[in-house]
Amino acid sequence: MVLRRLSFWLALAGIILTIATLWGANKKVAPPPPMETPPQNPYQVTVAAAGIIEAVNENVRIAPPVSGLVTKVYVTVADHVEQGDPLFQLDDRELRAQLRTKTDSLPSAAARIAEQEIRLRDVQDQLKRLQSVTDRRAVSEDDVQRKWHEAEGAKRALIRARADLHLARSERDEVQALLNRLTVRAPRSATILQVNVRAGEYAMVNAIEPLILLGDTETLQVRADIDEVNAPLVVPGSPAVAYLKGFTNKAIALQFDRIEPYIVPKRSLTGDNRERVDTRVLQVIYRFERPTFPIYVGQQVDVYIERADHPLPNPENGPPDLAIQQSTHSPTNSPEGEKRESHE
Amino acid sequence: MNYVALKMLFGDRAKYLMLLAGLTFSTMLIVQQGSIFWGLMTWSQSGITNVNAPVWVTDSNINQVEEIKPLADTTVNVVRSVSGVEWAVPLYKGVQRARLRDGNYEQIALVGIEASTLIGRPGRVLEGKIEDLRSPEAVAIDQLGVERLGGPENIHLGTTFEINDHRVRVVAIVKTQKSFQNFPFVYTTYERALSVTPQERRKLSYVLASPVSGVSPEELARRIHEETGLGAFTEEQFGWKTVQWILKNTGIGVNFGTTVLLGFIVGMAISGQTFYLFTVENLPQFGALKAIGASTGMLARMILLQSFTVGTIGYGVGVGLATLFGLTAGSGGRLPFKETWPLLVGVAVALLLICTVSSAISIRKLAKLEPAIVFRG
Repeated sequence: MVLRRLSFWLALAGIILTIATLWGANKKVAPPPPMETPPQNPYQVTVAAAGIIEAVNENVRIAPPVSGLVTKVYVTVADHVEQGDPLFQLDDRELRAQLRTKTDSLPSAAARIAEQEIRLRDVQDQLKRLQSVTDRRAVSEDDVQRKWHEAEGAKRALIRARADLHLARSERDEVQALLNRLTVRAPRSATILQVNVRAGEYAMVNAIEPLILLGDTETLQVRADIDEVNAPLVVPGSPAVAYLKGFTNKAIALQFDRIEPYIVPKRSLTGDNRERVDTRVLQVIYRFERPTFPIYVGQQVDVYIERADHPLPNPENGPPDLAIQQSTHSPTNSPEGEKRESHE
Repeated sequence: MNYVALKMLFGDRAKYLMLLAGLTFSTMLIVQQGSIFWGLMTWSQSGITNVNAPVWVTDSNINQVEEIKPLADTTVNVVRSVSGVEWAVPLYKGVQRARLRDGNYEQIALVGIEASTLIGRPGRVLEGKIEDLRSPEAVAIDQLGVERLGGPENIHLGTTFEINDHRVRVVAIVKTQKSFQNFPFVYTTYERALSVTPQERRKLSYVLASPVSGVSPEELARRIHEETGLGAFTEEQFGWKTVQWILKNTGIGVNFGTTVLLGFIVGMAISGQTFYLFTVENLPQFGALKAIGASTGMLARMILLQSFTVGTIGYGVGVGLATLFGLTAGSGGRLPFKETWPLLVGVAVALLLICTVSSAISIRKLAKLEPAIVFRG
């Protein structure tokens, strides 16, 4: 009977041990909750897109009109500039010297006019006196003619002197204009986003990096990239919201601006030197009011665009249409059909 | 009557022990082999269970979780556009080489999870903080990785090593389920995973998605598949797909199946034979019972009682021994050992079958028994 008891208890112990082990081991661990709330779709049906924040009307890359030494930079990053405000100054010593020469030649030209005027008056006086002599024997016809020519020549000389003064003024103005050009000014009111030039540096006309980057950071826009697969689902004017990466509790309401008519290859910014092109995307532009929290140009956002309906390829309508098209086209268009016709 | 039956059973000590040993070892063999098989299957799914996401989206022709068919980056937004998706995040998964300071190489399974939400991160963090993955060069390594890459004295918080010539720094040590290939899991953010892995045209391995409340994961997987043409599977579906692939493409299923079948046959042979001998030896007693008026049905019940009693005890001891084996040999996840309820129920049914067949043979003998045998001597 010892055996019976022993085996019975052993069996009981075995079953209890197994049940206890299984109870502990087979509990499914619940997935850890997301660290941040993942971006969530606020609409019933939606088209999701990856977006980037940019300054409205794009950014302006300021380049110098001519290559030259930079002598002074008037602005720093984040300055606000109005249209026409100076941004930086190129070396103008040579043109200033020219300007002085040109300006200095003006009094000489003006003096020449006065000189010619006096001479003209003198010759005209002489001519008048000669003509007033009525006695043909006292004054020869030849003298009168010669004086008349002299007077006409003096008149032309005066005109030329006046023209010379005008030319000298124009030349001075030209140098002045070239000089003004060396002060580079803001083409529109904007904020300075980048300054890549310092006084003393040589500014090249065809530099890769813009000397100064201007942009309007007051009103921003979102450029949303939509996979070409989903491109037909976007209806112009659909409302949308954007979420900053890792900051999903506050949505930014967007207003539709436009759809870019050209589908471009998507660029993945992986931080690698080479960027990969893997698909093409439709770009939709949305504007928004600056929210209360800080937001920067160049930031990535997740965009959700409301989809009006389900204009997806309907399995009931899609393939049959295609089939009908194929069947109507194939007898006339297929090369086999043509061949058969030519045989006959 | 039942008392008499049990008295007869326990009376013959040698036969009882023989019977018990046969059934015990048969049970133990089936349970142990079945558990190791299921443990291996669990390991094979660890790529899925460690991530712990409701729906997996990838190429529709995928066979199993370790076979990666990368997608275009925009797929995340295509999935987000499907109605019923609460969230969708990218996941990178791939085998990479880690190089240690001392020059040793080790293959690792690199997992890149979305940086802001960290969806797909392991549930248990042993040391450090998983949020630190967002800091530069940060990775989290699992307990197996610590063991493989030189133990806790070589790998601890702050240790640096290289993945494809990119320096990374350990910021957390996590607990994961071991994988079939037995590569350590290394976690990092999705963006960093892309930058440390070699150039490829497409790198997004999976999109993880979750349904809004009111939509089941199965329904969401169906919708994603219908609307996008991508392959979408719930965690369970993807797990089963992986298991099926392994059963079809490796000998594991046949191997373990054969062993389990052998356990069953051996158990049946031993217990059937012993039980038959036991009945034959006790024929005079049964004869006497029959002579004093016991019907064959009553004798059959006695036999069944005996057989099921020894069967239950054998089952209990066998299952207990198998569990003990699992607890000792498989402790710390060294051995893929995982007992499950269906397995235990299955073994119980198998044992019931063994007992029924063994007693059927004996009952057949008793049915033909003449009560006069008592007097023949």
